[in-house]
Amino acid sequence: MIINHPLLGPRDAAEFVIKGDASLIDRPDWQIENAAEAFHEYLFLRDNPAGEHRELWYHEQGDRSWLVVTRNTLTHEVTRVEMARDVARKARA
Amino acid sequence: MADMTLTATPALEGYDRTIGTMRLAERTSLSLVSMAIPLDGEGRAATAVRKHLHAELPPATGSTLSSDGSCRIIQTAADQYMAIFEHHNDAFTDLLTNALDGAVYVTDQSDVWVGLSLTGPDAVDALERLCPIDLHDSNFPVGASARTVMEHMGTIILRTGQHDYLLLSARSSAGSFLHAVETSVRYTQP
Amino acid sequence: MTHRIDGGLIDRSQTLKFTFNGKRMDGHPGDTLASALLANGQRLVGRSFKYHRPRGIFSAGSEEPNALVQLRTRAAQEPNTRATMAELFDGLSATSQNHRGSLEFDLMAINDMMSPFLSAGFYYKTFMWPAKFWEKLYEPVIRASAGLGRLSGREDPDVYDHGFLHCDVLVIGAGPAGLSAALAAGRAGARVILADEDFRLGGRLNAETYEVDGMPGADWAAQTVAELQAMDNVRLLPRTTVYGAYDHGIYGALERMTDHLPDAGGKPRQVLWRIYSRHAILCAGATERSMAFGNNDRPGVMLAGAVRTYANRFGVTPGKQVAVFTNNDDGWRTAHDLSARGVRVTAVIDSRAGVTHTLDGARIETGSAIVDTKGRKGLNWITLPNGIRIEADCLAVSGGWSPNVHLTCHQRGRPVWRDDLAAFVPGADLPVGMRVAGAANGDMTLAAALKTGRETANTVAKDLGLTPSRKAAPKAEDEPSDITAFWHVGGTKSRAWVDLQNDVTTKDIKQSHQEGFRSVEHLKRYTTLGMATDQGKTANVLGLAILAEASGKTIPETGTTIFRPPYTPVPIGAFAGRARGKDFRPTRLTPSHKWASENGASFVETGMWMRAEWFTRPGEKGWRDSVDREVEMTRNSVGICDVTTLGKIDIQGRDAAEFLNRIYSNAFAKLPVGKVRYGLMLREDGYAYDDGTTARLSETHFVMTTTTANAVLVFRNMEFARQCLWPDLDVHLISTTDGWAQFAVAGPNSRRLLEKVVDDFDLSNDAFPFMACAELTICGSTSARLFRISFSGELAYELAVPARFGDSLIRVLMEAGEEFDAVPYGLEALGVMRIEKGHAAGNELNGQTTAAQLGLGRMVSKKKDSIGSVLSERSEMNRDDDLRLVGFRPADREARLDAGAHFFTKGDTPSLETDQGWMTSVAYSPSLGHSIGLGFIKRGDQRMGEIVRAHDPIRDKDTEVEIVSPHFIDPEGERQRG
Repeated sequence: MIINHPLLGPRDAAEFVIKGDASLIDRPDWQIENAAEAFHEYLFLRDNPAGEHRELWYHEQGDRSWLVVTRNTLTHEVTRVEMARDVARKARA
Repeated sequence: MADMTLTATPALEGYDRTIGTMRLAERTSLSLVSMAIPLDGEGRAATAVRKHLHAELPPATGSTLSSDGSCRIIQTAADQYMAIFEHHNDAFTDLLTNALDGAVYVTDQSDVWVGLSLTGPDAVDALERLCPIDLHDSNFPVGASARTVMEHMGTIILRTGQHDYLLLSARSSAGSFLHAVETSVRYTQP
Repeated sequence: MTHRIDGGLIDRSQTLKFTFNGKRMDGHPGDTLASALLANGQRLVGRSFKYHRPRGIFSAGSEEPNALVQLRTRAAQEPNTRATMAELFDGLSATSQNHRGSLEFDLMAINDMMSPFLSAGFYYKTFMWPAKFWEKLYEPVIRASAGLGRLSGREDPDVYDHGFLHCDVLVIGAGPAGLSAALAAGRAGARVILADEDFRLGGRLNAETYEVDGMPGADWAAQTVAELQAMDNVRLLPRTTVYGAYDHGIYGALERMTDHLPDAGGKPRQVLWRIYSRHAILCAGATERSMAFGNNDRPGVMLAGAVRTYANRFGVTPGKQVAVFTNNDDGWRTAHDLSARGVRVTAVIDSRAGVTHTLDGARIETGSAIVDTKGRKGLNWITLPNGIRIEADCLAVSGGWSPNVHLTCHQRGRPVWRDDLAAFVPGADLPVGMRVAGAANGDMTLAAALKTGRETANTVAKDLGLTPSRKAAPKAEDEPSDITAFWHVGGTKSRAWVDLQNDVTTKDIKQSHQEGFRSVEHLKRYTTLGMATDQGKTANVLGLAILAEASGKTIPETGTTIFRPPYTPVPIGAFAGRARGKDFRPTRLTPSHKWASENGASFVETGMWMRAEWFTRPGEKGWRDSVDREVEMTRNSVGICDVTTLGKIDIQGRDAAEFLNRIYSNAFAKLPVGKVRYGLMLREDGYAYDDGTTARLSETHFVMTTTTANAVLVFRNMEFARQCLWPDLDVHLISTTDGWAQFAVAGPNSRRLLEKVVDDFDLSNDAFPFMACAELTICGSTSARLFRISFSGELAYELAVPARFGDSLIRVLMEAGEEFDAVPYGLEALGVMRIEKGHAAGNELNGQTTAAQLGLGRMVSKKKDSIGSVLSERSEMNRDDDLRLVGFRPADREARLDAGAHFFTKGDTPSLETDQGWMTSVAYSPSLGHSIGLGFIKRGDQRMGEIVRAHDPIRDKDTEVEIVSPHFIDPEGERQRG
């Protein structure tokens, strides 16, 4: 599998480590009223789509960027690769 | 008061060997200094590096050379660079920290890495047994750099000449790394 | 060489000597083992898998089901090698396999007579009862008779390698289509890799008598190869099988580097390439298949295309009287080619009626078939439906050609049936970037292969933004290629083989259907059709056709089994590559490694690190002697330990303090410059994760240590937090684990020792108290870092210098420590001292324990957000009656404790319900003179002084232990603060 790194170009997936669903970027606020429930959902509940999936990959044997990779779980087609930091900043803005 | 001095030991005891057409040698005199760019500080960092190191900040997969050729800069992460000085100087880090004055965050990396230079016309033949990066001229011209993995060891590869490569890998596994590169050279030499 | 004829692409000026079952034979460069065996008249080469029937060479390529042999001898012996793929070299030693006794008189041939009991599914039926027979009788017998060749049982003496290749266009197969494609792509300027499993590129061009551009096909192939070889942008990989198509244009390929050499000269036997391609053109050609008729498995019965390969390419005739049985025009070429080379063709039997081909001197039967054959260890004659017998020592059979669609299916693509070809061709759903040309795509004639190869490559070139070359396309004629499907001959009592390798007959397939195994996938598992080394390359389509007939369905309705990598077998050694023995993974050495090995250290692997476990001195009888001494000498004076393996992370930035405050569960924001603090990290689920100390060197600069085991993971998770959770903090992380040689200097004399080493630095308790840190110079000028931290509980420091000075520093420290009787201590003594002090380590921080259980509950700040803080407050994780980490000592001080023992209240019967916790770490404490332990027990903190049972069912021990404070030594911490 190849991940087309936004800065470095195509790299073998062997250089990367996968973490899981990109929703892990959206960490809840610790001070909201139902924080425990929100964190429970954030940490333990996941969709398991047959098809397009946004997931977090870490370029451990590379530039140590965290990436958001949009991958089709049925075909392995990778349709989009973004710097997770940019995604996280956009989500906060 | 101490009356003893410490002596430096190269990770590979100064290994230097010619195997067929290839020369493989430990680079014992490099100074490696990481420069991390403060948040939103790219402009100031670039100016400081230009002023004090006489070099530009390079693109992600390339490198730049200082005007006197003594320092090469590569990008090691989205917001991080590494300056590679040809000659070691224990005080580099302090000098840089002072000179760059907070424009970048400086970390001495000289002892984190072991440096091997691989030189000779068959370098690519040896490297293709180790390196997943495409080293063809069209993708990896002289000056190109990449951080990748070779035989399970993280490696920075830098093309310093037509047939010259600098390989940096972790100092603690220097012996395993040398063994990996040397094996590749032996396997690919006639 | 009784069966050599003129011609062929072999070098007759040189003779190669080889042996088969010890018999000396000759061959020539350019021969395969198979062609050389045939040249020497060796028809019988092996025994079949199940019935041990005599078998001969069936094909001339990688599809070979029968001629599996063992190559080389002793440890280098390799079983199940296809004789048709083994390039002959001088001194080659080959033996046949799968027989007990000699090849000629196989004792296991009795299975053939028992065949009524060994039909499809016998394995599942025959050995069902009585159940007690299984272990004693059935299994040993099955094991003894299973498998084909034998492993040597010794370590493989050969070496293997891996590698990475990149290209614009990977051309798979160097037959007419592949050569034409590579030529066009190469001329257009693309970076091309052309791979072929054969040692001679050209594919069928080397096996046929067709002309290309007015010259013999083989000459055109050689000329084209020479042109490709001269191009800088083309890389030729002969002897290379592309065995799998993976995601995103990645292909797996096995190059046989030195298999064809008498001596590999220390070079890898084989290299497993990972090929990254932007485009791939599959030109894998087609494989001929047989037809099923009575006793169609005798040595001498061969594929028609293979028979003429041997004649045209290798100058060998497999028989002196050859008959041909075909359902298509191609079979006739064998008859014509052999006849032209002076080989007697006795008959051509064509299943098609009304065929007008002729051949002088041969009996021609059209609309006919072969019903049976005779000949015990090789074919003698064939029988026609009308009972007429025709003499033949070789029968060339052509049931048509099946395009090699395998790689088109490795990404779940399914092939589609074409009636006009009576064959499957690639479907529309190809792996990304793959195109197919030539016979692999159903373009079965030479002219079509040359044309589609070129056109496909030109399309690819345009995709790459290149301009196709205007040089003329190679020219050739379209040969006749009519076929009428014909699968098996009915009306015979003799067994008719479908899968020669697995001894599957037409009857087995019908029986499988009758017994309900009707899907092709079930058929495969039940009968073993299409399994093993050849994966049914010559058998599958035939099997499907017979299944389709039995079920009254069409072949497309019946479908195929799924093709999976590898296309042909890949040795496990090639997959392993260099990762064997000590090269299995990298080894990390600490800076004092050399010194330690000079000083009696015994090393232990911890992860990739080699760490000293203890330093043996003369006279010490066991490891305990060394460890006890190291602990005592450290606690009495001073000990030195290399702690370089701890993860070290340089943390810088304006928001570094805030970042740490969110990473650690305890407060860090207000740590003063020049101070160190112990930190506890939680996982987001609230469980304890890792611990260590972090020092603040300046307002914006921290140095963190992690545990050795978690160094990589902690760094990864901190980068996740930095980039994904708090991207707006100004903070940077750089791993410096390898950059610093770090030594713990511990014991009451540690200060006095260090005073001899540091340059003008006040180490007094007032100037440099417990948990202080500083950057300084030592030994005159070397920059260093000093931390006053203690894992042993003693007055202790950790001193770090750049790693290059590590070897020198340990020598200097030991020399400076001589007057204090300084001692080096290893991992074991470190462990003993931390247990004596009650510090948690990996056994306690095992990912399943909470801060509260570890006795660190009060550290977790509730006034700030940090990783895991919210979920650590879950009520179940904060129960008063939960486990607590406490110390244990044996009620009988002489008793030894065991880690892993479970605790039970005195009087309770050990069970899951009464379980109170478990012992995590134990040691003999030389300071206290008895065993001590740490462990988790329910409400432990409220049960001081209680005697409980430590029950160890595995070691069958039951020990009474007293619950005590985990701080066995200096509970008030006076020593480390002194």
